[in-house]
Amino acid sequence: MNLATLQSKRFPTLEKWAPWAAVAAVVIGLVVVTRPPAAREGFDLDGFGRVTILEGGRVKPIDSLARNSLLMTNGKQSVILRDDAGKFVRFVPATEWLADTLFRPEVADKYPAFYIDDEDVLGVLGLAHNKDRAAYTFNQILPRIQEVERQGEMAQAVDPKARTRFQGAMANLYQRVITYYRLKNSVQLEGAPGLAMEVGATADPMAAQRRQRLAGMATFRIVPPGPGKPETAWRNTGEALGDAAMGQQNPGLASLARISAAWAGRDAATFNAAVADLRAFAGQAAPTATGQADHEIIFNRVEPFYLGMILYVAAMLLVFVSWLAQPVLLQRVATALLASGAVIHTLGLLSRIILQGRPPVTNLYSSAVFVGWGAVIVGLIMERMYRRGWGTATAAAAGFASLIVAHHLTGDGDTMEMMRAVLDSNFWLGTHVVTIVIGYSGVFLAGAIAIAYTLRKHFAPTLDEATTKMLVGMTYGVVAFALFFSFIGTVLGGIWADQSWGRFWGWDPKENGALLIVLWNAIILHARWAGLARDRGIMAMAIFGNVICAFSWFGVNMLGVGLHAYGFMDKAFWSLAAFSASQVALMLLCLAPRKFWRGSGADPGTPARAKA
Amino acid sequence: MTENARSIPAPLRAVWDVLTSLKLTIVCLAGLMVLVMACTLAQVNLGTWGAVAAYMRPWIVWWHLPASTIVLPVFPGGALIGAVLMVNLALTGLRYLEPKRRKYGLMLVHAGLVIFFVGEFISAIYQVDTRLAVEIGQTVNFVESPRENELTITDVSDPASDEVFGLPEQLLARADTIAVTGTPLTIKVRRYFQNAELTNRAPSDPPSMATIGVGTQVTVKELPPVSNDDHQNTVTAYVEPVAGGVSYGTWLVSNVLGSPQSFTHEGRTYTLAMKPRRWYLPYSVTLKEFRHEVYPGTDIPKNFASLVQLRDPGAKQDREVLIYMNQPLRYAGRTFYQASFGKQDTLSILQVVENPGWLMPYIACGLVTLGLLVHFGIALRRALRKRAALTEATT
Repeated sequence: MNLATLQSKRFPTLEKWAPWAAVAAVVIGLVVVTRPPAAREGFDLDGFGRVTILEGGRVKPIDSLARNSLLMTNGKQSVILRDDAGKFVRFVPATEWLADTLFRPEVADKYPAFYIDDEDVLGVLGLAHNKDRAAYTFNQILPRIQEVERQGEMAQAVDPKARTRFQGAMANLYQRVITYYRLKNSVQLEGAPGLAMEVGATADPMAAQRRQRLAGMATFRIVPPGPGKPETAWRNTGEALGDAAMGQQNPGLASLARISAAWAGRDAATFNAAVADLRAFAGQAAPTATGQADHEIIFNRVEPFYLGMILYVAAMLLVFVSWLAQPVLLQRVATALLASGAVIHTLGLLSRIILQGRPPVTNLYSSAVFVGWGAVIVGLIMERMYRRGWGTATAAAAGFASLIVAHHLTGDGDTMEMMRAVLDSNFWLGTHVVTIVIGYSGVFLAGAIAIAYTLRKHFAPTLDEATTKMLVGMTYGVVAFALFFSFIGTVLGGIWADQSWGRFWGWDPKENGALLIVLWNAIILHARWAGLARDRGIMAMAIFGNVICAFSWFGVNMLGVGLHAYGFMDKAFWSLAAFSASQVALMLLCLAPRKFWRGSGADPGTPARAKA
Repeated sequence: MTENARSIPAPLRAVWDVLTSLKLTIVCLAGLMVLVMACTLAQVNLGTWGAVAAYMRPWIVWWHLPASTIVLPVFPGGALIGAVLMVNLALTGLRYLEPKRRKYGLMLVHAGLVIFFVGEFISAIYQVDTRLAVEIGQTVNFVESPRENELTITDVSDPASDEVFGLPEQLLARADTIAVTGTPLTIKVRRYFQNAELTNRAPSDPPSMATIGVGTQVTVKELPPVSNDDHQNTVTAYVEPVAGGVSYGTWLVSNVLGSPQSFTHEGRTYTLAMKPRRWYLPYSVTLKEFRHEVYPGTDIPKNFASLVQLRDPGAKQDREVLIYMNQPLRYAGRTFYQASFGKQDTLSILQVVENPGWLMPYIACGLVTLGLLVHFGIALRRALRKRAALTEATT
């Protein structure tokens, strides 16, 4: 035994401990993001965020409403406050923004919480375009509010598919203004003396009118079910005031009135006590429905899919660097980052499953999250089998790309929405939808490996035959995997359709999209078996699989026809076109003759190998 | 190449080679992709049903040259590609897949796929889609077509029960004179429109073909038929009932005209109406309750359910059935699904499907899944063995 091995026994090498250090860094990051926000001026914002409400068909913490509403109006989950000179002052967390919106609208109106970057819309508002921070306050919109309404009504009358860019942006702004306006009038009417006064003045002849207006405006139900009522009988403030006028007192309403008055009057002690009262009462009135609220708060804070996205992109970049220097060390760290990302991603998916009581895929957003997850898991297995960083790089790229897509699909508010009647079947959501989406993962992963193959051919200084063989073998295996899952998923979909609509196959656009994926994967495999396509051909076909899969996943939804129109989207057309064009360009690169490659080594996949 | 291939004459062998080639498989799969893509995009304008009728069901896809009557064949249709692929699958199975253990999986897959295609052909030919609309408290013993119409001649002379005779739309389109079996009546079809627009007759309009009834006040303008799923054809015809050498005038009938029109022959009164085509069932369905549940605090539907009483005196059946989402009633070869509702939740619309081949996709899917599992299982085992051998060799 020589000295070097002795030393390595006593002090683990950098290559051994660096991956663990990366994992430790991720864990520390997790602990930092999950800690509750600090109380501001003594107000217990953490407690306020845990107040439960019924919205969109399920009970959730008000923190979720705050984040989703702000995400809708401002495109992010907080407000960035600046002074007049444009200097950063502080972040306003979503819960604080919501508390101000509900109880101190005159303050909320001054927050730059409306993201507007359409030049023409800004023109209508008479505002200058601000490239660095396109966030505007409600007070800036207010002088032209009637014009916003007029333009918004005109734009909304146009079929979403036929709207121009301006009409789309205008309809969108109008919708956001309405949402904000309704939020401001959900607990108490803006400009009226406040909830405490309403509670005391239920007999006032004008009160009934105000109550009715409140009940119509409210976007959520914050008053827990009264004594002896079922757990689903949540009320909005207008309705609860109506109950009170009929003699049915609700302790939740009184607490809410105190919360409102204390926030507006800047009385932290009373606010904190009233929040605790309201939460205790909600816990009694609806114990099962409110039980998940704390879990959801942690989920909200971690933003697991956002965190996962960051880890994946870091892993991908590390692998790229590793091909230039320090291959072993960097690839190990990259794999460690990818694996921690995968763990957080998995925990996020599990949280959604528990919170929603549903299988992982319920809408377009969650399908994107799940596609990424599937690609990362399969990629990790590939890395375990083949090593050398290719599995890590492609898995990280596929995971990162699909989480980016998911991130852009969140704009519509709560991503944990209720399932419409025919979709309300956990069995079929759990089997058909999940298998189909695993099929998507496979197609994209095969495409990603084929892209890696292409780029390597053009940019790597030397090509060793073993790596080329390995990449082709990986692609073949993943295509077979994708065919298996997309076929099973499509057939299960047919069986579900037979159970619910009475026909196995109806040539519905989404069904056709799934069929296209199956057919394309079958063509790839048969072309290989028949010897019609060699390595390069197979790789180019695998890249085209990305186009087919993207069309089937999103493209058919843009047609807006058929029974799967639940995921209708109009904005993404150009993104999809650009993606398809980029893939076709990569295919051409892949098929480019040998003389265009940088690498000089023999490539076993082309007829040129005959010399060997 | 197997023994039996060598024993057949050369021209036949060439055909055999083409039919069993993997190239043909790939060509068919690619052709199918093109068709599926076209069928998907065409749905924006034609509706699902129209697009399927144009691309998937026919043997040849025809293209109507704009501004002319010329129709050109442009692509093989779904039926043709499906049939060729089915033959190719079956024959390739015979040619390449000798009964060796490692080919068992692929044989199962191909057998399953052939069953799939057969099932799809059976559905295409025999599947009948109808609907049953029933209001709370009402009892219904017929199903109606969502697309086809028929001219009904109803003998209403007996106050206790009506006798209904139906002449399907296609018959009106083809025939000039139709004898209504079971009655002394003959119907002369003066004019038939697959789709039309009906307006009140203006003084300047040409005289109506109708000589009697509400039709004398109506002007009919022919329209091209629509196939979009959201639109319905206004099926319209001028018909002349004749009995015992006496004409009862030319009547206008259309599925948008509300009240039936009647005439009397030899003491019996008959009504004429254009209605969705009906099939009578030997059993009846009574709607007892309709539920439309929403998620609390929203109007997102959670469930639709119809509680019905199924009565079939012939089969000694008289029971309650709850039909709800993903939970249809299968009875006597028909399947009843909750499809729609109306009239402030007092009307339930059930979709009714009759498909003798409904079980085949299930069998096919089982076979293919099993086959893929076996095949990839064998492949994986081989790959793992290779790897093990490789690592052994290198260490």
